[in-house]
Amino acid sequence: MYCVVYGTHMNEIFGKYIRERREALRENDSSYSLRQVAGRIGIEPSYLSKIERGIQTYLSEGKIIALAKDLNEDPDILLALSGKISTDVQEIIRKRPRLFTQLIRDLKNLPDHAVLRIVREVRDGKW
Amino acid sequence: MIELRNKTLQFSFPEVHPDAKLKIGCQRTLRIPDDGKDYPLPPGLGLFRIKHVDDYGQNVPDSWLEHGGVMLPMYQSEALWLNFDSDFLFAHETSYPFAIKVAAGKINAVTGEQWTDWLQRNPQDYMVSKEQPWLDGYCVEKGFIRQFVAMPLGAGYSAEEQLTGAGEYGGLQIVVYPMKKKVFERRFAKIKQIKGISDDSPEFQLTLSQSIGAEMGLAPGGRMRQEIYDDPFDLDDWEMDYKSRCFVHIANSLVWRSITGEIPPTVPFTAKEYTKFGLPWFDYYSDDSTALKGSKKLNGLKGVVEMGQDKGEVPLPENESITPENIIILRAGLNKNQVREGTF
Repeated sequence: MYCVVYGTHMNEIFGKYIRERREALRENDSSYSLRQVAGRIGIEPSYLSKIERGIQTYLSEGKIIALAKDLNEDPDILLALSGKISTDVQEIIRKRPRLFTQLIRDLKNLPDHAVLRIVREVRDGKW
Repeated sequence: MIELRNKTLQFSFPEVHPDAKLKIGCQRTLRIPDDGKDYPLPPGLGLFRIKHVDDYGQNVPDSWLEHGGVMLPMYQSEALWLNFDSDFLFAHETSYPFAIKVAAGKINAVTGEQWTDWLQRNPQDYMVSKEQPWLDGYCVEKGFIRQFVAMPLGAGYSAEEQLTGAGEYGGLQIVVYPMKKKVFERRFAKIKQIKGISDDSPEFQLTLSQSIGAEMGLAPGGRMRQEIYDDPFDLDDWEMDYKSRCFVHIANSLVWRSITGEIPPTVPFTAKEYTKFGLPWFDYYSDDSTALKGSKKLNGLKGVVEMGQDKGEVPLPENESITPENIIILRAGLNKNQVREGTF
């Protein structure tokens, strides 16, 4: 039951996000109509419409990445909103599952700026 | 903080605002002829490869390690432009504003003055993103720049060497200041909230140290129509306590393999070849912005060709004049995601 409710909620968030982004782009560019966006990523307009309304559940990783590129969005964010993890990230975790799952759990409660510091920075020196 | 992702420098200021993120890319491009004519904007031919200098500590000069930052490969007489890009924030109907100062060889590309770590308004020594989408060279007069052209450091061509008499630094220096959070939220108040999304989500064997001409500086090349815009905000709007800066070292492409083990980049098109195929050039206008006057100091510099004549050298191959005919006009605000790329 928990999974069903959670999954439905995820669909709604993902669909709403996609619709708002697409419609914002369409204000300045008519090529962001439902029909044209669906055509560019290779799905039926009715299917995209269902996804935007949170009804349809499945969109493959490849289609989500194509949709992200078309809407000028970060593919990782769209994948996360749809409840997916990209294949390359899965592969990274699969190689060292204990280490990375522990790392992610340890990072769970850190604020954003603390997490960002773990990502590699370009070092500044003495000019 | 600055990260290197997808060949792009990504500046972010999470301490200031979660949306304060700016990407700066170094674009390969055509070298326009240095012939006294004024040219439109050339296209982007893809991003230069960029690497952390720390990853190649054994193969780069000690001074590069001291400066920190990143490095990229350029052939002698190759040109470069900088692309400034930040995400459009739908809720604020704008991109997060940044003040960006750029120098080459620690000579400010807008004023011709020596590098400083702070912002100056009169004369303005920085640019503002998103008003300024790119920078192609030294701002020599109102509406005109002279293209950044790579020349060996020590050969006397770079702006740094012409103005200081020494080729000490070379490369590019960039510092970015975000707008203060309170100012941003006052000037660009949120107009709508997207529910469900939190604002807080987030085969030359030369080595660089041994070779003369392995480190590159940027010399003033051909003239191009490009305006550097006046800051539409107040100097006090910029968050001076949270700047991020990056030293971009330039290695001669001929020694790139000895530093990194990678195959050097291909030689770019010449402007003549590009134009012969009718490929597009660009002109950009912003009706809402005022252009800066340009620097007398930079305008007094000798271009690469003129300097070469003084030295009895021919530093720029393929410098024949051309007449670009396929020019695409870009207007600010017409398309917020428009980039200067042609089909080729």
